[in-house]
Amino acid sequence: MKQESMFSTRVYPVLFMVALTVVFISVVSGIFLTTEDRVRLNESIFQKRAVLYAAGIDFPRDNPPKIQEIYEERVQEVGGQEGQPDYFRIELPSGETGYAVYVRGAGLWGEIVSIFGFQTDLQTFTGVEFVEQNETPGLGARITEQWYKEQFRGKSGPFQLVAEGASDAPDELDALTGASRTSEAVLKIANKAAEEAQETVEQEGQ
Amino acid sequence: MSESAYPIAIFFAAIFTNNILLSNYLGMCSFLSVSRELKTSFGLGVAVIFVMTSTSMLNWIVYYKILEPLGIEYLRFIVFIIVIAAFVQLVEMIIERVSEVLYAALGIFLPLITVNCAILGVSLFMVIRDYTFIESITFGLGSGIGWFLAILAMAGIRQKLKRARIPHGLEGAGITLIITGMMALAFMGFSGMLQIG
Amino acid sequence: MATRGKMKKTFTDPLGKNNPVFAQVLGICSTLAVTNKLENTVIMSLGVIFTTTLSGVTISALRKLIPGRVRMMAETLIIASFVIIVDITLRAYMPDVWQQLGPYVGLIITNCIIMGRAEAFAMNNSAGLSLIDGLSSGIGYAYVLIVIAFFRELMGTGELWGITILGDWWTNWAIMVMPPGAFFMLAIFVWVVKGAIIKEEEAAK
Repeated sequence: MKQESMFSTRVYPVLFMVALTVVFISVVSGIFLTTEDRVRLNESIFQKRAVLYAAGIDFPRDNPPKIQEIYEERVQEVGGQEGQPDYFRIELPSGETGYAVYVRGAGLWGEIVSIFGFQTDLQTFTGVEFVEQNETPGLGARITEQWYKEQFRGKSGPFQLVAEGASDAPDELDALTGASRTSEAVLKIANKAAEEAQETVEQEGQ
Repeated sequence: MSESAYPIAIFFAAIFTNNILLSNYLGMCSFLSVSRELKTSFGLGVAVIFVMTSTSMLNWIVYYKILEPLGIEYLRFIVFIIVIAAFVQLVEMIIERVSEVLYAALGIFLPLITVNCAILGVSLFMVIRDYTFIESITFGLGSGIGWFLAILAMAGIRQKLKRARIPHGLEGAGITLIITGMMALAFMGFSGMLQIG
Repeated sequence: MATRGKMKKTFTDPLGKNNPVFAQVLGICSTLAVTNKLENTVIMSLGVIFTTTLSGVTISALRKLIPGRVRMMAETLIIASFVIIVDITLRAYMPDVWQQLGPYVGLIITNCIIMGRAEAFAMNNSAGLSLIDGLSSGIGYAYVLIVIAFFRELMGTGELWGITILGDWWTNWAIMVMPPGAFFMLAIFVWVVKGAIIKEEEAAK
C-alpha cells in the first residue's frame, strides 16, 4: 500500500462521519416531526380510553374519533392543567355521577400508575385501568389483563387477597400466581384509592 | 420518588430477582460464547461491571442534562450507543498506556462489550423506569454484578460438563441454554427474600 | 456480477443450516424477551427484518466510501437510525404494542446478527445481494422466534394472538411465560434441529 495522505487518514473519516450523522439525524428527525401529532393524539386517546374503561363505559377500542365523542359527552375534567386534571367527573351508564382519579403506588420494579373509577359514594369501584407499570412480563404484568381488571368492578375496600381465580366477595381481590409482590402492591394501591379519591374530590369541591 | 425505588432494593433486585441476563435475556451472545472458560469469563465479567456502572452514570447525565432539555429524547438510541462505544474506546486506550498487565487481562474484552446488549439495556431501562441518578448507578452496578455472577456460575458448570456425556444435538448451545433456564429458575427463588415497599 | 444461483444461495443459506439463531445462537438477546406473546414477537421480528435489510443495503451502498477507521461507528450509526425509525413508527401507529415492547425495540441495535451481517456480508457484496442477505437473515431469525413464541403463548396462557385456543381443560404452564420458559424452548428447538442435521450428515456418509 502506498503512503496515505493526511487527508485520507485524518480529515476524510471525520468529514464522512459528520456528513453521515447529519444525513441520518435529519431523516430521523423528519420522521419524528411528521409523526409527532399522531403520537400526541395517541397519548391523549390512551388517557381517555383509560378513564372510560375505569368508569365502565363501553367504547369502540380502535375508533379514536368515537372515543373522543363519547369522552366529551360523558367526562368532565376538573382542576389541574390541560390533560392532567385532578380528577374526572363522569356520567355513569346508570345515569348517576361517578368519579375517576389517578392513584400512584410502588410496584415491584417501579411505579404503578392507575386510574380508579368510583360510583357516587366514592367507595365502590366502577373499575380500574393500569396506565403505567413495569412489572415482570408474564408474572406481575398480568395485572393489565382483562380478567384481572374486570374483577374490580363493583367492589369496595378494604380488601384482602385470595388465590388467583377465587375471589367472589366484594372485599376480595384475586392475587396473581407467581407475582406475590405485585399482588400486594396492587392491594395497597386499591386500599388507599378510595381515601385519596375522597380527599381530591373534597378539595376541589364537587 | 416512590418508596419501592430505594437504591438498595434496586441493587439487590438487579443482582438476584431481576437479573438482567436471566430474566431479561440481555447479553446472551457473549454469555454463550465466552462462558466456555472460567478465566475469560471472570475477565469479561469484571469489565462488564465496570463499563455498565460508568455508562449508566454517563448516559443518565447525557439524557437528563442534554437530550431532555433539548427535546430530542427520540435520538437516545444513537446517543447512548455512541456514548458507550466512545467510553469503551477511551478506557481501552487508557488501560493500554497505564498498565500492560491490566490490558492483557481486560483489554481484549473491551471491544466485545460495546455490542453487549446488556450495557445498552441498562441505560434504556433506567430511562423507562425514571430512576434518579443514584438509583441509576446502583442499578448499573447491580446489573453488572448480576451478569458477572451468572457468567461465572455458568463457566464453572461448563468446566464440569466437559467430561459429561451429552446428547449430540444438545452439545454446545443447547445444553448451555438448558442450564441457563435452570439458573433462571433458581434465581427466581430469591424473590421471596427481597422485601420491597 | 451476481448470478441467479448466487442470489438463490444467498437467500436460502440463512434459512437452513446456517440459520444464525440455531447454528451460532446469535442475536437472540432482545427478541427472546418478548416471545411470551406471539403478537409482540411478530411485530418485533418485522422490526428486525426491516433493520437488517435496510441497514445491509445502506452499508453496502456506502461500503466504498466508509473509511476503515470509523467503520464500526458508521455501521452503528446507520443501524441505530433504522431502529429509531422502527421505534417512532411503532409509537405513532401501534401505541399499545409499543408500550408492551418497552426498551426491547431499542435493543435491536445491539442484536449481534445485524452487526454481524453488516461486517461479514454487506461490507464485501453489492447492494442487491446485501438486500437479499439482510432479508433472509431477518426471516431466518424471525421464524425461529415465532415458533418459540407460538409454543410459549399457547402452553403458557392457552391463547394465541390473545384469542383463547385451548379450552378450560388446559392447565396453563406458568413457567412457559416466565423467563426460564424461553431458555428451555430455545434449547429444545436447537436440539431438534441440530439432531436432524446430525442424522442427515450421518446418512450422507
